[in-house]
Amino acid sequence: MNQPAPPPLPDDPSTAYFWEGTRAGELRILRCRSCGFYVHMPRPVCRNCQSMDLAGEKVSGKATLYAFTETHKAFHPFFVSRVPYLLATVELAEQPHLHFLTNLVGIAEADVRIGMQLEVAFEELSPEIVIPVFRPVAAMAEGSVAS
Amino acid sequence: MTVRTSNRRVAIVGVGYSQVARNSGLSERHHAAQAAIAALADAGLKAGDIDGVGTWGGDAVDFAWMMGFDRLKWSLNVGVSPAFITPAYHAVQAVAAGHADTVMAFRIMMQQPSSAALAAGGAMLGAPNPGDTQWQYPYGDFSPTQWAGLLMNRYMHESDCTEEHFAKFAEVQRNWALLNDNALQREALSAEQYLSMPYITKPLRILDCDYPCDSGSAVIFTTEERARDLQQPAVFVDAMALSAIHDMNFEILPDMVRTSPAHCAELLWSRTGLKPSDVSTAHLYDGFSVITLQWLEALGLCPPGQAGPFVAEGNTSLGGKVPTNTDGGAINVGRRHGANFCIEAVKQLRGQCGARQVEGADVSVWANAVGPFSGAMLLTKD
Ligand SMILES: [Zn+2]
Repeated sequence: MNQPAPPPLPDDPSTAYFWEGTRAGELRILRCRSCGFYVHMPRPVCRNCQSMDLAGEKVSGKATLYAFTETHKAFHPFFVSRVPYLLATVELAEQPHLHFLTNLVGIAEADVRIGMQLEVAFEELSPEIVIPVFRPVAAMAEGSVAS
Repeated sequence: MTVRTSNRRVAIVGVGYSQVARNSGLSERHHAAQAAIAALADAGLKAGDIDGVGTWGGDAVDFAWMMGFDRLKWSLNVGVSPAFITPAYHAVQAVAAGHADTVMAFRIMMQQPSSAALAAGGAMLGAPNPGDTQWQYPYGDFSPTQWAGLLMNRYMHESDCTEEHFAKFAEVQRNWALLNDNALQREALSAEQYLSMPYITKPLRILDCDYPCDSGSAVIFTTEERARDLQQPAVFVDAMALSAIHDMNFEILPDMVRTSPAHCAELLWSRTGLKPSDVSTAHLYDGFSVITLQWLEALGLCPPGQAGPFVAEGNTSLGGKVPTNTDGGAINVGRRHGANFCIEAVKQLRGQCGARQVEGADVSVWANAVGPFSGAMLLTKD
């Protein structure tokens, strides 16, 4: 039996910056060119200064864990073989409360601690869909030693 | 020139449910008609007395024509919003302003597909903002149980609440349901049984979720003057509030503990002479159990961070300080999307709750939703 396909991306030119970024190994977040405020999820206007001049910009990929949950039930065919998996809300280092929903990888649920330091990594779901996921900074260091 | 409005005192005079059931096989119109007929009978009103309709689910004008209501002076269809409180809130405003005299507010809710159907690929849950799903679906985020799991974990991190407290909450709510003939879940449940259930989105278990079903609920609002001539003891709207603090992306709320209910409660108490200590019964949304705990704290019914121990110590049970969700909550009576909290509050204030009646109940608060948006209403006896 074929592995079911991941959920397709919508045809949305306004978010191409993000998906082109992940395919190039960069996490890009929409940023206001007038005041420097980061806006996620993307919107056509900056909620800090109401400028409509925004563009995707590479961020550091450093984050702090704000919340997590381990999903045990699959809600889509692609995820049947992936449960349980960790869904996490992380605060990106660039701005207070700049929350990003992601998967937490390289750690068991029992070891996860809210407030832990995380680093971005990239996972290819399909040639088109590369997602930024986050893993503990320590695991990142071990990974680089091994490679 | 200004719009002419009155400032009339508003009462609830009739409440009704459809034949609530799992996969009832009935249409939205069936559920609306059954709930409307029940609410009219409860009030002792005729269909022709209704001159305003608001609904979430189905169409207000369609329901009015189907039911033989009077020509409408006011109507409203609401979409994604804080559950039943939205049509109810605006119905109160329409009557208070004098733009309609006797208004019916509906919530018609059809059962959503099961997680098994979703996993098999035969169904998808609706998304409030389809464009935003590209930041959710690729990570396997599809179901409200997932943001609820995030909120639960963050809440436990910031408070004294533990999984054992959620277990006690489930037991307390079920104990209320055992006193309610209309509850769908009526088997005794212990905290130990709760803890033996598998996780859906750890720490969330199935008994933290409202019970999916098809339901129709209707509530009739009218003026104080008319209410005094009707057959039921009138229940008055003392104060109400709606709040919205964020778009619909629960998963990235800046603060998952002090969400919209904190703002809503502040608004509510600023609009009344009553205080949290005056509340006889509370009816607080339990789409997920953590929501009720957030509301207990937001409304000042218990100290911040203490809702878990507060429930476990019996304060929300029959005979407790603040009897809460006395019908058993939507976890047990089935998903009526907030309307059951309004209807149960009315029945407590009328003194019609039988074995689960809270003696001397004279002030009740009911509240809906969490996270981005919410609403609350304070009701009193005459
Ligand atoms: Zn700006």
